Amino acid sequence: MWKISRSVVVRALALATTLSLAPQSAAALPTDPGPNGKDLKVVQLPLRSDAPKTIDPGRGSTTYDNRACSMVYDTLLQYSYLKRDPFVLEPALLTKMPTPSEDGLTWSFELKPGVVFQDNECFPGGKGRELVSEDVFYSWKRQADDRTKAKSWWLYKDTIVGFDAFREEQNAAEKAGTGFNYDAPVAGMKVIDDHHFQVVLTEPVYRFIWLLAMFQTSVVPREAVEHYGTRFSRNPVGTGPYMLDEWTDLGMSFVRNPTYREEYFPTDLQDGDEEIVADLSKGKRLPIIDRVEYTFYKKDQPMWLRFEEGTLGYTQVPAENYETAFNRRTKKLNSSYKRRGIVSADVPLLDFIFRQFNMQDELLGGYTPEKIALRKAIILATDFDEFNSSFYNDKNIVYDGMIPPGLDGHPNNEEHRAGPEYRGKNIALAKEYLAKAGYPNGAGLPAINYYVANSANSPEQADLTMRQLGEIGIELNVRMMDFSSLIEACDNKKAQFFSFAWSSDYPDAENNLALFYGPNQSPGSNHANYENEEFDRLYEQTRSMQPSDERTEIYLRMRDMVLDHAAFAGSMARTRSYLIQPWLRNFKPTEQFYNWVKYLDVEESLRE
Amino acid sequence: MWNYIVRRLLYNIPVYLGIILLLMALLRVGAADPAYTFLGKNAEPGDLERIRQQLGLDKPFLVQYFHFLWDVLTLNFEQESWGRPGRTVGEMLSTAYIPTLMITVPGLMITATISICVALISAFNRGRFADRILMVAAVVGMSVSFLVYIIVGQYYGAFQLKEWVGTEVFAIEGFDMEKNGFISGWLTYCALPVIISVIVAMGYDTRFYRAVMVEESTKDYMVTAKAKGAGRRKVMFVHMLKNAMIPIITRIMTTLPFLIVGSVLLEYYFNIPGMGNRLLGAIADKDFPVIQTFTAIFAVVFILSNILTDVLYALVDPRVRLQ
Repeated sequence: MWKISRSVVVRALALATTLSLAPQSAAALPTDPGPNGKDLKVVQLPLRSDAPKTIDPGRGSTTYDNRACSMVYDTLLQYSYLKRDPFVLEPALLTKMPTPSEDGLTWSFELKPGVVFQDNECFPGGKGRELVSEDVFYSWKRQADDRTKAKSWWLYKDTIVGFDAFREEQNAAEKAGTGFNYDAPVAGMKVIDDHHFQVVLTEPVYRFIWLLAMFQTSVVPREAVEHYGTRFSRNPVGTGPYMLDEWTDLGMSFVRNPTYREEYFPTDLQDGDEEIVADLSKGKRLPIIDRVEYTFYKKDQPMWLRFEEGTLGYTQVPAENYETAFNRRTKKLNSSYKRRGIVSADVPLLDFIFRQFNMQDELLGGYTPEKIALRKAIILATDFDEFNSSFYNDKNIVYDGMIPPGLDGHPNNEEHRAGPEYRGKNIALAKEYLAKAGYPNGAGLPAINYYVANSANSPEQADLTMRQLGEIGIELNVRMMDFSSLIEACDNKKAQFFSFAWSSDYPDAENNLALFYGPNQSPGSNHANYENEEFDRLYEQTRSMQPSDERTEIYLRMRDMVLDHAAFAGSMARTRSYLIQPWLRNFKPTEQFYNWVKYLDVEESLRE
Repeated sequence: MWNYIVRRLLYNIPVYLGIILLLMALLRVGAADPAYTFLGKNAEPGDLERIRQQLGLDKPFLVQYFHFLWDVLTLNFEQESWGRPGRTVGEMLSTAYIPTLMITVPGLMITATISICVALISAFNRGRFADRILMVAAVVGMSVSFLVYIIVGQYYGAFQLKEWVGTEVFAIEGFDMEKNGFISGWLTYCALPVIISVIVAMGYDTRFYRAVMVEESTKDYMVTAKAKGAGRRKVMFVHMLKNAMIPIITRIMTTLPFLIVGSVLLEYYFNIPGMGNRLLGAIADKDFPVIQTFTAIFAVVFILSNILTDVLYALVDPRVRLQ
């Protein structure tokens, strides 16, 4: 009894202390000016919608996790900052791009010497040690460890020789009580010395090179993971350009990593870059800004007002503020902003916004001519152009297929069409198909359950969908729910017809085509539960092909197969508009990668 | 009185256990499976089972129930949040309640004080011009959406005001009590949200309190007091107010537990790291440990405030006996 009481009292006291002190931040780090100037350069940036959940690359998965991890951690490769069309990779932690063997299976890597982890108490004497080959494999193995609660094992699955077996064996050993052994060998992971290693792939998958630039593959030190345990999520130790200074519920701030590897601002400017790059930045040591302060905004108005008052370096333009910033007809920036030196930038996203059918559903699923006709009727009654003008200020790109603009396989003509028969609005043809399906003017067709995640204007978008399908006599039951409930309904194959969006993890259509690959059926990413042996065979074939006309040709065939089976209604890719303060230099917005903060500069003389 | 309090506490134990049972059952039956939320779009069948095990959702419901009760009983809030890895439930909640109370407590106090005064004036001038003006204002105030007050208040009260006066009076958003001291911090970051919450609540409260006062003003003791020559102020603030305290206490005490919930809209727009913000985030993340712990605390506060309400009745009105 005494034991319980004492424990209760101790916990109550601890709780009371926590309550009164309410600590939310780590100890402040020195914020001395960097090597690029005498004055401390500080910038405030927005994180719209949500906050990161973790700064552990092993556990992270969201865009927000990506943004935070990209500040603190480095990947083997990175996107070349100024090159966008197409995106190009370049070495980050490596001395040069990894070289594949002739058969494309064995990849050799050479790490830059002298790259050190940030100073941290987890290291002896608090001094960060040099990053070595073992760290790379340790970081990747964490994704295999069930205790990490990783969400990105799919990146490694069936990719590296022996890695899947290692995962099974070690997790079984952990369950059996003998422990997960990180030192157990993996046939496809070979350490040659501290700076050289090789990776052997199960097949020469092209996407492997892109994985090396994804934040989930960032390199973490074993000492930090073991030192912080479950708190490693909030105590990041990397080799990246910034160190976490403070993380509260409102935002997070980072300070320049004084031991960051030698890296300089790129000199290979692309067309138009001269206008955004500050002259003084060319060839400057990175990172340029000393302190970066992010604020999380769940609502757009405070973010917009903070930009208007000149606090934030940039802002995405919320839909409700579009006409404040731009002329709706000409899409040009309004003169009041131009006068203040504010510039705008449009960022096309690798987006795939669509309405998906569950191909295993009794009513909508199946591959018989009648079932295909029913789905085609729905597709042809759906007018994505109307969605674009009603909700996106006509800024989006409406296209056919699942391959977003900018990627091989996207229908490149101006209309972004695969063929006129694939996209609405064509009410006459839609009615024809509906009759072919056995439901003339919708007669006898039960109401279709339409699953939608609840977000800003999703009720209005659902209303528009109802109205559009109503034109051919199709009735919808709209089921509005939070996103996780939608995911569950899709994973359980209960969602009949649902609204979804996919942002490409890397700029290759393979990532989008995977959404229709048979083995990826729910709860995997193939939520349409699309089954097509020929499609699967071609997908497997293209996985190991380098970009080429031949591969693009196959992508087109695969795209057309899915379109012919009418597995989804689509598509649309968003274009995000940004406004940038005159004093924020070198900012070339992108949402494909997030390690660009190190390139930013501020010109204090231009701040009001 | 102490007997009464102890007895009421004992009676409420089964109610409390029932609340926790119902909540945990609802979360596990009615809400989406947290394992799906956790894994996102690229889940595999094996992963789902593994995550359920790691979250403890594979255990029998009663085991989960008693395990949680034991944690509450021993004030063990050290479970890791499911939505925010690396943070404990205790940290998540303890850092959120102070910002919330810094908005809601002053809001309640100011609203109650002003509303009661306005209601007294209105009731005393029943049917006259002042009463009509005040009631029209109250109805108009009630008719405008809370969201409109926030959006307009933030735009004019913070952004435009700064443009006009050239310095920041109220912050557009944020919460920093350390930068310039507590008072200055509160005035910068909390005063505007408090003003908005007071304006929003005043319409409802004034009408309610006026109705109470009007009813009291027709009672015989009011006529007696006036006949005995008591002054207008004494009649209002001593006789009428004292007798109207029971409904006033009821209203204030029923509001009390909700002070720790805060206002999600205010917290979202003004970026206040409060409980409403936190709770909605936990619901979106299917963060059961946070939702359960918050509800367990809320239920305790609710039960205690109910008991306290009864005690206060007895204190302000000698006719009420606690038995």
